[in-house]
Amino acid sequence: MVIPPLRRKVLRDLTRLWAQVLAIALVLAAGVATLILGNGAYSSLYETRARYYEENRFADVFADVTRAPRALLGEVAAIEGVLDAEARIVKLGLLDIPGMVEPGSVLFVSLPETGGFNRLYLRLGRLPDAMSAEEIVVSDGFAKAHGLGPGDRLPVLMNGQRRDLRITGVALSPEFIYALGPGQMMPDPRRFGVVWAPRAALEAAYDLEGAFSNLVLKLAPGANPDRVIEALDRLTERYGGVGAKGRADQISHAFLDAELKQLWAMVRVLPPIFLLVAAMLVNMTLSRLITLEREQIGLLKAIGYTSRAVAQHYVEFVLLIAVVGIGLGFAAGAWLGVGLAQMYARFFSFPYLVFTRDPQLYGLAAVITLAAAVAGALYAVRSVVKLPPAVAMAPPSPAVYRERGAWIRRVLNLRQTGVMVARHLMRWPFRTLSSTLGVAMSVAILVASLWSFGSIDRMIDITFFRSERHDAQIVFGTPEPMPAVFAARTLPGVMVAEPFRQVAATISHRGHEKTLAIMGRPADPRLSRVLDPTLRPMPMPEAGVILSEALAEALQVRPGDLVTVAVQEGRRPIVTLPVSGLSVGYVGLGAAMEIGALNRLMGEGAMVSGVSLQLDPMQTAAFYAAAKTTPKTELISVTSLMLSRFRDTLAENITVMVSVYVILAGIIAVGVVYNFSRIALSEQGRELASLRVLGFTNREVSGVLFGELGTVVFLAQPLGWVIGYGIASAMAAAFSSDLYRVPFVVQRDVYAIASLVVCAAALVSAWAIRGRIDNLDMIEVLKTRE
Amino acid sequence: MPDASDIVFRARGLTKVYRNGALEVHALRGIDFQARKGEFIVILGPSGSGKSTFLNIVGGLDRASGGEVWFEEHQLTALGEGQLTQYRRDHVGFVFQFYNLVPSLTARENVQLVTEIARRPMRAEDALALVGLQDRANHFPAQLSGGEQQRVAIARAIAKNPEVLLCDEPTGALDSATGIKVLEALTQVNRAVGATTLVITHNAAIRDIADRVIRFADGRIVEETVNAVKKQPSEVAW
Ligand SMILES: Nc1ncnc2c1ncn2[C@@H]1O[C@H](COP(=O)(O)OP(=O)(O)OP(=O)(O)O)[C@@H](O)[C@H]1O
Ligand SMILES: [Mg+2]
Repeated sequence: MVIPPLRRKVLRDLTRLWAQVLAIALVLAAGVATLILGNGAYSSLYETRARYYEENRFADVFADVTRAPRALLGEVAAIEGVLDAEARIVKLGLLDIPGMVEPGSVLFVSLPETGGFNRLYLRLGRLPDAMSAEEIVVSDGFAKAHGLGPGDRLPVLMNGQRRDLRITGVALSPEFIYALGPGQMMPDPRRFGVVWAPRAALEAAYDLEGAFSNLVLKLAPGANPDRVIEALDRLTERYGGVGAKGRADQISHAFLDAELKQLWAMVRVLPPIFLLVAAMLVNMTLSRLITLEREQIGLLKAIGYTSRAVAQHYVEFVLLIAVVGIGLGFAAGAWLGVGLAQMYARFFSFPYLVFTRDPQLYGLAAVITLAAAVAGALYAVRSVVKLPPAVAMAPPSPAVYRERGAWIRRVLNLRQTGVMVARHLMRWPFRTLSSTLGVAMSVAILVASLWSFGSIDRMIDITFFRSERHDAQIVFGTPEPMPAVFAARTLPGVMVAEPFRQVAATISHRGHEKTLAIMGRPADPRLSRVLDPTLRPMPMPEAGVILSEALAEALQVRPGDLVTVAVQEGRRPIVTLPVSGLSVGYVGLGAAMEIGALNRLMGEGAMVSGVSLQLDPMQTAAFYAAAKTTPKTELISVTSLMLSRFRDTLAENITVMVSVYVILAGIIAVGVVYNFSRIALSEQGRELASLRVLGFTNREVSGVLFGELGTVVFLAQPLGWVIGYGIASAMAAAFSSDLYRVPFVVQRDVYAIASLVVCAAALVSAWAIRGRIDNLDMIEVLKTRE
Repeated sequence: MPDASDIVFRARGLTKVYRNGALEVHALRGIDFQARKGEFIVILGPSGSGKSTFLNIVGGLDRASGGEVWFEEHQLTALGEGQLTQYRRDHVGFVFQFYNLVPSLTARENVQLVTEIARRPMRAEDALALVGLQDRANHFPAQLSGGEQQRVAIARAIAKNPEVLLCDEPTGALDSATGIKVLEALTQVNRAVGATTLVITHNAAIRDIADRVIRFADGRIVEETVNAVKKQPSEVAW
């Protein structure tokens, strides 16, 4: 096969400029990879969830009641828009595994009926015999964390009674993809598991014969969930219903939604940055190449090549770079995709992951990338293609410099080499600006990823060290009279006990409403506190309610406004209360009242839902053991365990994420700086060699080029900080949901680290180019005219 | 016989071999040479005879393959890369066929480029005045004619008050009238600064302005003439 000469030139140019080509290709690859990874992960997560929900019949509406007769089910199923309803028993129990000191809980869920909802995906063993009182299936993550399998025993406390259950199988459920235990902030499969048991066994254990404690509904297509929930709430009110939830408020579903939202944000932010930078690099590099080959272009045209053919030649060159980038991006995207899928597998319990290798997505990524590269190329090619051959063949008119910016020189007290740097930078303002912008983008990417560390520190500091300062909390199964506090005070190791009352309520204001738990605390709480925005602890108001900032925002209320509080328990009073203040808080929505005021509102006497405790660190084990066997205890949460789990999980995920971002930012920084310096060197090689002849040392000569580079990198820093701040704040907003808010704090060290990383990348590029400067051929430049 | 302390350059048995794979090019085949302080020497010879190679080695831009070159008490052939740079910086002024000015600096700034790093420089304005360009100090190279650019290059070369001024075909790219101006600038500088000046040229007519003329052929010095009377550049016929 005969390769046409121009084609051969393309290949030769590619090999000759391989380092620059690679630098551009890597930036393109980063764009392709993030595009594929983000979109791929998004659709993978989305599709997996959809298929899992579909196959295992994930319910649409969830409702808890204290105890409702099974006869109610018929009425529920008759609500307009309800396709089918299933009554379940869902109850908390405590783990009683020998050797496990720290408290853990299990959620007992009655096995789905045949044809029921939230069907299990059985991973091991078999389902329990419906008649058995001790056979159970446990959730997969929990089984793994404890090394349990079919045939093993699981000792638990059900309703205060010690039971030794027998595991027959291990399963997953679409209801617990994100298995967050009550009172937990992060899934902790060691301390929380789901246990499915035959309904009869649970009925017996929890005194619920002929009754149920939980309802799941499937809606008819097109039904209005709000209307159904309203009707359902009316039916369950009498039976202790605390308000039904749609999928959007179901914990597992909501966390998946939050994750999807984050991925979506990433897909929209990252790939465009890379593609933009790559297009600028293509433009810069090609412009220089074309300038160098101007005479050849004139010659080609003179001997009869059309402008089109010449333009095509350069576009082909760029397309090949893009193809390399796309290839690398496909590989990296697929590889990172597997990594992300593994991370999801750890974080979420899916029976399988539908990892879509959608050819359309790859095709789209390729097309977008090619388009970005060609856009950069066309802009560069346009000028030279228009030149008549005679003009093109003549050497280009020398660059016109102007004696501008004399003040810069005075201010900086520049030497002539400094003046060279300044004039050269100002001579090609577009290139200087786009390079600055490119480097700024890498700073920005780092700022936009690194801030999350500080944000988490703040979240931890405020949540665990300033607000929730207790060592442990005991939550009772049902509210207890005040003396329960004294009983808790006498448990071994307890130094301080502080009561709290928790009441489910719907708070509304002008059409906005949220259902949540109102926390009643003592007037001047010591252990479980709420903080005002300046982080000072707030006393509980005698009348009125303190709302968390997130809740106030959702309801659009300000301090002093009146909100309607409709309690969802007991007598279900409805009152209007003033908002007496706003508190900071990052986890969930919060509302707080003085415990006495809340109890008066409830009209049930002085009751407590649980106690916050300060413990003697030497006696925690004794405390756990005693607290667990106290019959009223439904749940024991331990702050230190929660915190370490929170830290570990986030640290792990964020470290992975930040490493990826650092690599991406490094690619941009190296790509831009390296190309910029290669071009500057190619333009000024002659001058620099002349300086060497005049007796300038290698170091001084490198200084000229690095001065230019340094200026670009230096100018890029503040710009990068500003852009990074913008991206970070958009991300913080995108990540916030009712489940958690992300405190938006960008500490100074974030800027410093981002700049250091980028400067390090710039130094690497400078080092790569240093050899070329040291080996400038002095004699060669004396022999030739420019 | 010249006084030994008067000798600026001494070369003995200087050879230079370029190796391109198996091919060896003997650019210099044993040069013996001396130059006195303030002497104006013209170097002639056919293309490829080794003139530039010789000048580059003497100027510390290139290394010899054999033999030795001394500049005053320094043996150039024994110096390292850094010391050669220092030698060029402190003692040598260069003028080349293609001027090699920095396009982003004005005439004055091109001169200052050197005076800033020199040990005992003259003022940039004075250097430009020596070549008659004091009025064009603020012009960029692109705004100057070839001859003017070459005179800026000369001003830049002499502004450091060099001991030696090395010129490789300084008039090569210029027409005769401009060439004469450049040569006048060179002779004037040679007189004013007292720098030993070596000028390579293809124009045999220029020989008459020199103290001494050296002819290269095939890597050797084949002829040496001392001019009893020097002509002014304006008197030579091109
Ligand atoms: N880098 C090099 N590699 C190989 N050979 C070289 C190199 N530089 C010079 N030569 C050879 O050395 C010989 C002397 O070259 P030099 O440049 O000194 O000649 P010159 O006398 O200056 O010629 P001209 O008058 O054309 O400038 C020539 O044959 C040339 O081809
Ligand atoms: Mg020569």
